[in-house]
Amino acid sequence: MSDAVVEIDGVWKIFGDRADEAMAAIRADGIGKAEVLERFQAVVGVKDASFKVDEGEVFCLMGLSGSGKSTLVRHINRLIEPTAGSVRILGEDIGKMRQDALRALRGTKIGMVFQNMALLPHRSVRDNIGFALELRGMDAYHCAQLADQALETVSLHGYGDRLPSELSGGMQQRVGLARALAADPEILLMDEPFSALDPLIRRNLQDEFLGLSENLKKTTVFITHDLDEAIRMGDRIGIMKDGEIVQIGTAEDIVTAPADDYVADFVAGISRLKLVSAAKIMVSPEEYQARRKPIEMAMEHPEAAPEDDLDTLVELSTHSDLPVLIKSDGALVGVVDKNTLLHGLQGSADE
Amino acid sequence: MSTQANIGAEQRNIDERDVSIEAFCVTKADYYAPIFERYQRGQLPRWHMNIWAVIAPWLWSAWRGVWLMFWISLAIDVIAVVCLMQVVKFTPLLAEAQLDPDANTTLISRYTNWINTYGTIGWAVLILGRLWMGSQANRWYYDLYNRWRIEPSVAHGVSPKRLGLGVLIILICSPITTYRATQLRLDERACFNQVRATESVESLLAQYHQVPDVPALSTAVREDAAAAQARFDQLDAISDRTAEQNTARSAARSEARDLGRSAGLVEEYLAISKRDRFDCFFIDDFPTLARLDPPEDVTYRRVTDEDGITEVVAQVKPPVEGRKVTLFTYSAESIDISINWLRASFAGAFDAMTNVLRQSLIRVEVAFMQTPWPVVAFLFLVLSWTYTGMGTTAFVASSLAFLALFELWQIAMQTMALVVVSTAVCVFVGLPIGIWMAKNKIARFITEPILDVMQTIPSLSYLVPAVAFFGISQPPAVLATVVFAMPPMIKLTALGIRQVPESTKEAALAFGASER
Repeated sequence: MSDAVVEIDGVWKIFGDRADEAMAAIRADGIGKAEVLERFQAVVGVKDASFKVDEGEVFCLMGLSGSGKSTLVRHINRLIEPTAGSVRILGEDIGKMRQDALRALRGTKIGMVFQNMALLPHRSVRDNIGFALELRGMDAYHCAQLADQALETVSLHGYGDRLPSELSGGMQQRVGLARALAADPEILLMDEPFSALDPLIRRNLQDEFLGLSENLKKTTVFITHDLDEAIRMGDRIGIMKDGEIVQIGTAEDIVTAPADDYVADFVAGISRLKLVSAAKIMVSPEEYQARRKPIEMAMEHPEAAPEDDLDTLVELSTHSDLPVLIKSDGALVGVVDKNTLLHGLQGSADE
Repeated sequence: MSTQANIGAEQRNIDERDVSIEAFCVTKADYYAPIFERYQRGQLPRWHMNIWAVIAPWLWSAWRGVWLMFWISLAIDVIAVVCLMQVVKFTPLLAEAQLDPDANTTLISRYTNWINTYGTIGWAVLILGRLWMGSQANRWYYDLYNRWRIEPSVAHGVSPKRLGLGVLIILICSPITTYRATQLRLDERACFNQVRATESVESLLAQYHQVPDVPALSTAVREDAAAAQARFDQLDAISDRTAEQNTARSAARSEARDLGRSAGLVEEYLAISKRDRFDCFFIDDFPTLARLDPPEDVTYRRVTDEDGITEVVAQVKPPVEGRKVTLFTYSAESIDISINWLRASFAGAFDAMTNVLRQSLIRVEVAFMQTPWPVVAFLFLVLSWTYTGMGTTAFVASSLAFLALFELWQIAMQTMALVVVSTAVCVFVGLPIGIWMAKNKIARFITEPILDVMQTIPSLSYLVPAVAFFGISQPPAVLATVVFAMPPMIKLTALGIRQVPESTKEAALAFGASER
């Protein structure tokens, strides 16, 4: 079996009373969204989505509102049943699970954080965090202990006895995160967790979450409509449009090689300084020498590694008139002069 | 450049709108489109009118599907016509009174007054109402247009079928209402006499099966009556009658009297006009006077035989000879009999419920009434102090003082016990029903109207059946309190559960909670 923790394969979700008929028609005639709506009064929420998330990886699903990302993520813990396709968690097909096994899976293996926090208003913060544990049948003493530990993790020590309504939005979302972490699940589903917060607090929480995920190594599916956030958080990013995943790749892949105009539009405003590495824009020494002049090895060229980002290259270039030599294990693999660098910054390097 | 684009866009919008107005109106869109536009711009003058809506507002609105206007205009016209019909009603009466002006001065002034007032009101309502309908018609039509744009199934276009329905409604409602307005209030006896005469004619027809029709029957009965009278006269003329002759004489006399009465009834029947029948059947009250055979009179009784087995025994009483009842009595007696059956068949269940209620009442009453009054009073005060505050405690203290001073203490404690038991019943029964109602659409559909009825009927009217089933004393009182107090309990429970946000439910599910 594959070692992917979350594996989604050809998942379709069609909303409406006649979803099955619509699905059959799509399979048979390949009809489009508009026609599905007209003929079956059904809405296509997710269209043939497939992806894998490896252990410890943070996978970002990015798309505008209505693109189906929240719908898709709810298939991972089967809050929504797929119309077609399969979802495997830790190698097990959850579509075939019985209700009690599914509940156990949700309680122990998958933690979820919601955009609107969705804390239970009548329970204290501690009881909220211990909710999944309590449902699992854990005694109150251990519940409280684990909940306090989780509170500590999200630096809310001492807030256990408050009611959620007494906390600020940012703190409430920390509680939401603590609730997801308390049961020590293998998988975290984060549904736009920071979208409802103001930018400064959002940044704070992003940093904190990055730190946490560094330590905890949880497999995470992170939903966001904010590309900056996706790039900050995600090891890999999946971009969704109208229920379809249009591109999956690392932030650098997506920024340097957008799959279509839609993605290109999206990434147009993104700063490439920290994203693009030297390897992406460098010219091979031979080509450089052919086009420009020979490299005078005697002179003191600035040097960088292929994985260094553009920011580093700019920094090096400002201190020297000579092109930057990119060396890997001591061998010269490429050259970046000022023109190449500027092109790379602007985003037209590999045209 | 940009202004040109704007103008282009505006033109496009106008075109689109015109097309949609055409699709909405189907006919005469060129009349409505500019009116709608002026109304949108706020330039439609107050006196703008749709001439068809002035002439025949109900026809126009039915034709165009503006049902609100249909009903309003119909109501206005009915009010106007009823007022005008009062004039028609009182004018002949006035003429009659004026034959002898000196004797009828009061009547004449009263009738003149009524005729003038009703006439003025009638014409005013008719004219002002029509003018209002005319000015309102296109505005309401525009509102309908807007609703149609959101929801295409809203009535639109013109439809002969709708017009037909409108005409049918008017035909069913107007003539009889108008006719009623011209008539004085019916004499109740008149309708009763009609039924009586009809009945006796029917039974006489059964006796005189050789006569072809009712007028012939009348003559036949009259003849028989005369014959009987002749026999009586003949016997009466004999001065010294034997005992036999005496008996025959009185028999002849009573026969003559009965036949005379029957003949009177037959004549009365013949005098009944079609209009009288119509009046009795359709005007004022629902005709429950129709005579029916009464329902079979059954009494249900629980009988225990020697083996100690109890069963319900039905006793059928023979019907009283010739007894006829009205529809009302028939229904009432049927219900009586079924209640009787229920009580006999489920006596065990009712007794058990009564017992449970009585036993728990007794326990609680003992607790309240046999605890010395200082202790109870002190507990009340402490409770109100801990759970509320100074103000409430003071109020409780003064209330307790009132009860104590006016010798109401024991009665108050009894009532208290009643309230405690009722509350317990409410919670135990109401909470599950409330949860069920919140979870189940069909349950809500069934329970909600029942609860509404429970809340609105006065307690006295369900106290009577409660007494029938549970006997007198405390248990029916508990029941009445429960009927009164349970609906809010159930409704609020259901409401609370239904109001849990969808996202909270989702979160609970995501952490492994079950669906329920």
